[in-house]
This record gives sequence, C-alpha cells and structure tokens, in this order.
Amino acid sequence: MEQSGTSALLQGAVQDLSSDVASVLRDGGHVRLPDGALDGPEAGHAITVAAVRVLGADLLLPHVLSRTAPLPDTLDAFQRTVETFPPRSDAAPTVVWSHWAMGRTLHRFDGTGTATAEPDADWLGTATWQLLTHQLAVLAPLAVPGEDSAVARAARGRPVDVARGFVRAVRRRDWLQAAGAGRWLTLLDGVPQTLGLESGLDFVELMGGGDPRVALQLEAARAMRWAGAPV
Amino acid sequence: MPSTDRTVEELTGITSVDIEAALDPTEPDGVYRDSRECAALALTSGTTSLLLSPPAPRPKKG
Repeated sequence: MEQSGTSALLQGAVQDLSSDVASVLRDGGHVRLPDGALDGPEAGHAITVAAVRVLGADLLLPHVLSRTAPLPDTLDAFQRTVETFPPRSDAAPTVVWSHWAMGRTLHRFDGTGTATAEPDADWLGTATWQLLTHQLAVLAPLAVPGEDSAVARAARGRPVDVARGFVRAVRRRDWLQAAGAGRWLTLLDGVPQTLGLESGLDFVELMGGGDPRVALQLEAARAMRWAGAPV
Repeated sequence: MPSTDRTVEELTGITSVDIEAALDPTEPDGVYRDSRECAALALTSGTTSLLLSPPAPRPKKG
C-alpha cells in the first residue's frame, strides 16, 4: 500500500531519530535533537516534534538505562512534546499508554510531568497471543528494567505466549514486531530455553536491522541483557 | 489545540490523527521466508531448533 506524503515524511523523521537513539545506546553519549526543534520556523523542526511523539519514551531510553541526565534541550523538547500531544478522548490504548510512558519518563528525570494513574490494560488480559505480541511490540518503550506497569505485568504473566508471538513474527518477516517482542522477552522470566532468543535476535538483526526502528529495539534488548535487570 | 501542535500541522500537514495512527499501527500482512533465509537462520541458530521448524502448511488453492 502506498503511503501518503505526510505519513512518509513522518516515518522518515521517526527513522532518523531511531537511528540516533540506537547509536547512543550502542556507543554512549547524549541524545541530541536538531537545534531549536520546537521553536524553529522550518518544517523540518516541526517534523522532529511529531517524530518525538511517535518515538515516545524511547527517545530518552539511553539515559534511563545508563542513569545519566539528558541534555537540557532534549529534555525540554521531550517535555513540550508530552504537553503538546495529549491523547484524544477516543484514542486507542496504545496511544494512551505511549503518552503515559512519556509522562513517567519525564517524571523520572525532572520530578515534574505526570505521575498519573495507569491507564486501563484489561484488553491485554483477554487478547489472543498474536494480538498480545503485536500490542506489546507497539508498546516496547514500556519494556524497561525495573519499571513496573500493568502492561509489563501482562507480559510477565504470559511469557510463553510472547515467545510464540516472537516466533510468529519472525516467520512472517515482521522484523519490527519481532524486535519489540524480543525486547520484552529479554526482561521476562519463564521464557522457554528452546526459543533460542539470542540467536533469534541475531537473525532479526541480520534480516531487518537495516530499519533503524528495528535496530533501536535490538540495541535496547542488547543493552538490557547486559544490565541483566528484571522487569 | 496547543500552539505547537498547530504549528506542526501548519508547517508539515502532520495532524494529531496522523501521529495517533503511527502509534496504533495495524499488523502488516505476513511474508514468509524463503529457503535462503532458512539457511541463514540455520547458521545463526546454534543448538536451538524452534525457529527452524518448517513453515505451517498453507491451504491448497482450488
């Protein structure tokens, strides 16, 4: 299906940001946004703002995992994006949870933001293993060591289902879903040893690592494996 | 609508609806592996076998 010019523009910006974050996860350093990302009069700056919202809490993941402070400009842009794009009243659960995750991350770094009550996650409890894996992959920014949420609890309760979903995603060549599911599996107890998660993630990288969004999830999984922390 | 949101839309045409669509994607149709990819997986799989199981049979046409 052909993308509209607008969605292609947004997707490209998300890929650029993902590439930057993956690089910082791999090599260290600080996540940087283009100067004046929120204030510049150019369309490129505005696209960056939209891309930050789509990338969500993962923008600051390197700083969460390394326990380092983000650059003030990056944190400011992140905060203003949270404030600018609240979910609409009829937004899908993944949209609401993505925004909640950004608020939690913001609260972690500056003590402000929204330490609000968790959104509802009941839909995951009744989801098929296929849908569960798809939704968890979309919500991969919530897969962070030591950060609890109803989504993480749903994942913890169904590690075999997520493992099945990972295999299904690989066999469907849905590398982004496989990478997101793999990131969750890195944090879960009770994952079948026969899954061969590490080899599976290597395979996903081999086949789909050219997509910066996939690379970001794989670098996140790798960084969390080294940290060895449970959800 | 917050002013920055309006600026983003004015400058790029990207609306909140576009952003929310990106945050709630539908699952793409599956594309199944070919034999070369299976061979690559065999090389990277090590001692595990689950990912190497043969693809599920597809319904016959006609």
